[in-house]
Amino acid sequence: MLSCKACLWILVVACLLSSGRMLVHSPRPGEAAAENERRSGQRFAALREALPQRGVIGYIGQSQDSVGHYYLAQYALAPLVVDFSSDHRIVVGNFPSAPPQNLPANLKLIRDFGDGVLLLANEDAR
Amino acid sequence: MAIALAGILCFVTGFLVVALGLGARLCSRSGLLLRISLSAGFGLAVFSIIYFLARWSGFLHLWAIDAALCAILLITLALVRKHRASSAPQLRASGQATSKCLLIAFAVAFPAALYSGVLRALARPYGSGWDSFAIWNLHARFLFRGGINWRDGFSPLIPWSHPDYPLLLPAAIAHFWTVMGRESTAVPAVIGLVFTFSTVGLLFSGLDILLSRTSALLGAMCLVSTPFFIDLGTWQYADVPLSFFMLATFVLLHLHDASTEPGLESRSSLALAGLAAGFAAWTKNEGVLFLVAVLLAKMWLTSRRSSPGRSPISQIAPMLLAVAPIFALIAFFKRAIAPPGDLFSDPATMLHKLGDLSRYGAVLKWYGRELLRFGEWWLIPLPIVMLVLYFLLRGNLAREKETILASAGALTLTLAGYFFIYLITPRDIYWHLRFSLNRLFLQLWPSTIFVFFLALGSKPFPTSVGDPEPSAP
Repeated sequence: MLSCKACLWILVVACLLSSGRMLVHSPRPGEAAAENERRSGQRFAALREALPQRGVIGYIGQSQDSVGHYYLAQYALAPLVVDFSSDHRIVVGNFPSAPPQNLPANLKLIRDFGDGVLLLANEDAR
Repeated sequence: MAIALAGILCFVTGFLVVALGLGARLCSRSGLLLRISLSAGFGLAVFSIIYFLARWSGFLHLWAIDAALCAILLITLALVRKHRASSAPQLRASGQATSKCLLIAFAVAFPAALYSGVLRALARPYGSGWDSFAIWNLHARFLFRGGINWRDGFSPLIPWSHPDYPLLLPAAIAHFWTVMGRESTAVPAVIGLVFTFSTVGLLFSGLDILLSRTSALLGAMCLVSTPFFIDLGTWQYADVPLSFFMLATFVLLHLHDASTEPGLESRSSLALAGLAAGFAAWTKNEGVLFLVAVLLAKMWLTSRRSSPGRSPISQIAPMLLAVAPIFALIAFFKRAIAPPGDLFSDPATMLHKLGDLSRYGAVLKWYGRELLRFGEWWLIPLPIVMLVLYFLLRGNLAREKETILASAGALTLTLAGYFFIYLITPRDIYWHLRFSLNRLFLQLWPSTIFVFFLALGSKPFPTSVGDPEPSAP
């Protein structure tokens, strides 16, 4: 029969095992450099200068890209509201993995900021 | 320089609020640790409210507001101290001897958690997971960068950013950024670490004051040895801050129940517990559920011990009075600023989902599975060991069962509320469970450890290795 004291020491050992593993699995500085770079929004720094201070802009990206790219674009471009729609006069094109094969006909390229970041205009939009 | 000064002001504000609530009690070392642990979190909560109101009113002279509030609190404290009896009874702090082995184990586990937490925060200054940039820090950016157009951040065009989520964390971050005059990734990272280790300090000091040093060491060790708690604390999510305010509510309620003296000091500590529960609701929507659960549990407890001629409501009036302004603030935010949330948007579908038994089975299955792995423990899940310990010692459980039952009831009600939300969720139920259940369990984990050790009481724990142990029933 397991005694109370033995159970307490099992609890302590269980804690130490998890602590040890946590220590071993601690990340090293620079380990998440690529992810930090993505989150820093550096890709959008030049684009931000070319956009208005506030308002709503559109967004277009590659369908196979993760929705996370869109979220990161919104994070970088706040306080602008980035709507996932090209039905806006100003549209941001975000193609981090590959350049776009063919953009919708109603979108006109205004400027290519490199690294898959495009500034587009939708002349059909209100 | 500005950040250091703002940090000091924030801490002092929290310290004064806590001092007003606790009065002259708890002056032992553990009492001081309890005050310090509460102060940082309370200060951040007050800072977030100041920022939100300043943003809303357009009067953004934060240094002046912060300094004025500090001065007002200081004067109030001086006046209150003058009127309070100086011989307020002290809650004992445990001075018991503890096992050296246990002390050594804690001395290993705590620095390991601290080191690991700091390394994680340094390695990922923008946080981990999606919610840090898609919700919490994004809201902070809208508040800070938006200027007079800060409400743009709560646009229904970006529903995925959950614009209806309360603002404790984003507004506290934006407060610091505003006084600094620039954004810094250090602010959310440090706030994350402060909440994480304040929760540990609070758990340790709460158990030490209410129970024993051995229970305090074991309880704090269970928390610092939960890898996911330390990890999530550095993700820049609101779950660990929420867990802090939940634990603060329970610790303050138990301190209130443990004090025997009636009068102002007792009422103010109850008000402080109400403030903590209110701050939980201002941190995350789950906090509103928790607030309701705690109030129901407290009313049940009060009705069991009702004084003649006093209704349960009037007995918990200080708590309700403290909750009321925060509740009004949340209601104002939800009604006037944030768009409606998506959870309760379609009552017909919601009812249909409630009648679907397969959803109950799915949630139950995930609850059972996640219970053993949410903490990401290695080899031995702590809840299993704690359950075994509970069954071994259930005959020796603490006498003050009603208070503990009320706390356990509040935790169970909150857990049941989470269960209900999963049943009616408009999102894919498996996706929702997969990406949130471990965090919901973790929100309740520090409070569960606290209530668990209170339920065991101090009797079962030998103070040193050589002590005779109590017999298991």
